[in-house]
Amino acid sequence: MTYSFLQHKISGAIEADDEYWRWLEEGEFRLPRCASCDHWTWPAHFRCGQCGSWEFAWTPVTLEGAIFSWTRSWYAFDRVMERKEDVPYVSLVVELPQAGGARVMGVLTGDDSRAAIGAKVRGTILPPSPKTKHYPSVTWAIVS
Amino acid sequence: MSKFRGAAAIAGIGQTPYYKRGTSPDPELKLALRAITAAADDAGIDVRDIDGFVSYASERSDPAKLMPALGTRNLRFASLAWFHGGALPATLNLATGAILSGQAEIVAVYRSMAENNSQRLRVVVAQNDTSSQYLVNGLESPAQILALRAQRLMEHDGVPRSALWAAVEASYHHARNNPRAYGRMTEMDETVYENARLVSEPYRLFDCSRENDGAACVLVVSAERAKDLKQKPAYILSAPMGTMEGGGALEENWRPYYGTAGHRELAQRMWAESGYGPKDVDVAQVYMNMTSMGIGSMIDHGFFTAEEAGDFCTFENFVAPTGKLPINTSGGDLAEGFIHGMGLIPEAVRQIRGTSVNQVPGAKLSLVTGGPGDIVSSTGLLGSEETL
Repeated sequence: MTYSFLQHKISGAIEADDEYWRWLEEGEFRLPRCASCDHWTWPAHFRCGQCGSWEFAWTPVTLEGAIFSWTRSWYAFDRVMERKEDVPYVSLVVELPQAGGARVMGVLTGDDSRAAIGAKVRGTILPPSPKTKHYPSVTWAIVS
Repeated sequence: MSKFRGAAAIAGIGQTPYYKRGTSPDPELKLALRAITAAADDAGIDVRDIDGFVSYASERSDPAKLMPALGTRNLRFASLAWFHGGALPATLNLATGAILSGQAEIVAVYRSMAENNSQRLRVVVAQNDTSSQYLVNGLESPAQILALRAQRLMEHDGVPRSALWAAVEASYHHARNNPRAYGRMTEMDETVYENARLVSEPYRLFDCSRENDGAACVLVVSAERAKDLKQKPAYILSAPMGTMEGGGALEENWRPYYGTAGHRELAQRMWAESGYGPKDVDVAQVYMNMTSMGIGSMIDHGFFTAEEAGDFCTFENFVAPTGKLPINTSGGDLAEGFIHGMGLIPEAVRQIRGTSVNQVPGAKLSLVTGGPGDIVSSTGLLGSEETL
């Protein structure tokens, strides 16, 4: 399979999360867990800082969590100009208790007037699109 | 007793005017030269004798480019403190270390920026290190990322919006007396603040630092040398850099201090090394990339808790000369101007000298904090001779 995200690779930061995007592009949400001590290592890295292992098990995680924080962007910022027509849009930090409290970022869909810390959300995997810089993504909706 | 404490002092300060971003008449390197030569004049030091150069983040006016124009006789020490605005007081740490270990005698600590030269916002501030996890989800600007922290600090930890406004009100009030302040003429009252356009909730326009072209420099020398120079020395009592486990490049997975600034452990080290505590501080230059982050920094420094923020953070408490904790007495990052926070160190020094336009009478302990919420940060305490 030729992955879209690899052809539009964003450089910068730690860059140990190719496996995350690869699974996501295949329609699965997986996060890395240390193969030795089971520590959820997120954001992904090359070595487990807890036990020193270099091996990770990319583990399926359910797309259910709670809003840890959120912001509504009212401006089309330079490097995310693809979302210009969506302004204002709400981005989230979602906490996943089932993954050791790992937090992932995402965009809120549906009624965003109920965006609130602690609100339960459920995610949906979307295929790569220009809006997500040709990466796959997860959008989240508040569970009523 | 720490060998670091009081070993070095700031003996000279120099600044160019603040220009609107992208309008500097001079290129970045020339701005740096102006600030460094002004600092040497201020100290009464021959600029050719500067033998150390320290900056931070992705400063581009490196000493190799500066030295031919400064007539530098002997470049002995050159270093950058890592990361973004968090590194601001860490520069004083590096400079003091160089002096204390005999590697240099006169160290210029400086920052220069001109948008047309450096594409500052994209390259110099962001350093192109924003990960895909952010960019895919519509997040790119520090304003947005720090808005996530602000939302947590306010909605979850209970810091009221009035605390943010108090910082804005005090900053603009101070700026009015400061002829250098870029925002001195900006009309500011609570209606203007609350009706300004939304940037990234909960931030509106005036919650954000300014963006300017300009340069600033301070000269660090040994405590002994400082005594014989023109100006009253501002001794560097402590300037720790770093972060604790649970901080660093963790893409919003910071634990446990998500909503504040990541300064708690740094501040504890600073109080321990200096022998002072939050109650002893006379005046503070609080780095405010965003209002709430500065509030978070003050919480981490122990000035008040999140629960106390509403009561403590008032115009009356923040204003010089009478406030309990006068902050950002030049106008600071919000109202004076913003060259990656570097304007804060000269103002912290002026307070020790007694020459601020919003002077706190008899100020002896002067705090300057680093960029809050940066992946690694720093903080610094300056003191007059009596504090040694």
